[in-house]
Formats: sequence, structure tokens, C-alpha cells
Amino acid sequence: MYRGREGQWAFVLHRLSGVALALFLLLHVVDISLVMWGPDGPFNAFLAFYHQWPFRVGLIVVIAGVVYHALNGLRIIIMDFTSWGVRYQSQMWYGVLGLTTLIGIPVLWKIVPEILGIA
Amino acid sequence: MARAAAPRTFRDAKAAYQTNGELAWWVFMRVSGFLLVFLTFGHLWANNIAFNAGEIDFDYVASRFAQPSVRVFNSFLLLFAMLHGMNGLRYSIEDYVKRPGRRLAWKVTLYTVAGIVFVLGIMALWTFTLSEMGDAVRALNP
Repeated sequence: MYRGREGQWAFVLHRLSGVALALFLLLHVVDISLVMWGPDGPFNAFLAFYHQWPFRVGLIVVIAGVVYHALNGLRIIIMDFTSWGVRYQSQMWYGVLGLTTLIGIPVLWKIVPEILGIA
Repeated sequence: MARAAAPRTFRDAKAAYQTNGELAWWVFMRVSGFLLVFLTFGHLWANNIAFNAGEIDFDYVASRFAQPSVRVFNSFLLLFAMLHGMNGLRYSIEDYVKRPGRRLAWKVTLYTVAGIVFVLGIMALWTFTLSEMGDAVRALNP
């Protein structure tokens, strides 16, 4: 399962996306919490800063991370709780990658024009 | 304690973890992970697909947090995402930080930051503005 085969890459991507999403979660909760300071508080200025294109591209990476981590998490659950999961783990990983890409296409279709200002 | 390779079945997990606490976290990561698939996808749908995330501002958040269903949904999302995410960071600390003193320092920092952020998030969801909260507190003490 390991030694550079699919299982190891699945783990590396799961760990990387998981750590990144956890850190994003902390930042995201803090910035949304700025609404507590009201409409004249720092919230709108902060959000305007985040609406610059590099951050919006970053948000696409966050969405991709969520989709991969969620689907690979389902793969892990199947591996842990079914008798056949481990046998098909590498095929399921390719399924995870394929499904992540498949979900990514309409997401990019929706968000990229917004970033380019042609939505 | 350095953890061995992640156990792959419930029976492995029972054998691998000496304490019921670690076994409970192992189960929790799978149960919360399953729930979070729906919670995060719903959250992303509402704020990134059904809406242009580049137009999110105070009024948008105000209109969402005014809905009790959004408050309840986001509270569950916050709770499960924080527990799942912070436990994942704890696994990472235990995997990569080997020196006991440093490991403790990282964990204390993580739990402190996570606690503060969680309280901030719940406050933002349920009180919305500090002036509203101030009014609520004053209403209790006429």
C-alpha cells in the first residue's frame, strides 16, 4: 500500500489538504467574526482585501482541497468499514481524483468568469 | 507516544490504541468526516456557487446570520470542523514533533488558539454585533 504507490500519495495529499484546510478554517472563522464590529467596523475593508484576484484563486485551491479531502475521506471510511475496501483502495483513489476533477470543471466554470469580471 | 501507521480497520484500531480515548477519536474522525462532507458541500454551495463569493460583504453576512436555520447549520459546521480539524492537527503534531517539550508547547498553543477561535465563531453566529450583545446584556440588568 505504501512505498510510493497510490496509497502513499493518497495519504500525503490527505495530510497536506487537511493541515491547509484546518489553518484556513481558523483564519476564516476569525475574519467572518469581524462582523461583530458592525457595518462600520473592519469587516468590509477586510473582505475587499480578500476579493483581490490572488485570494480568489486561493479560494479555488481551498475548494479543490475540500473536495479532495472529503472524497478521499469517504474512501478511507469505505476501507475501514467494509471487507472489500482495502482491496480496491488504489482504484478508489483514481476515482477520487477523477471525481474531484469532474466536480472542479463546473466550479471553475462558475468562479473563473467572476474573477475575470466577465460573469 | 509516536503513533504507528494508521490502523486500517476497526479491529486494527482497537488493537492499535491503548486507550479508549484514542479509539473514540478514531471513530469520531470517521463519523464527523462523513457529516462534514454534507456540511462543507452545503456551505460551499450556498456561498461560492449560488452566490458570487467576490461580492460577499457585511450586508450579505447579516442577511444570512439573521436566518435561524443558517445559525444552526453553521454552528454544527463550526463544531464538527473545529473538532475534526484540530484533532487532525494534533495527529500531525504527534507525527512530526518528536521532542516532548516542543510537542507540549505546540499542543498548548493549538488548543488555546482553537478555543479562542471557536468562541469567536459562536459569538459571531449567535450575537452578531457587539452592540446587539451589549443591548442584550443591558436588557438583563435594567
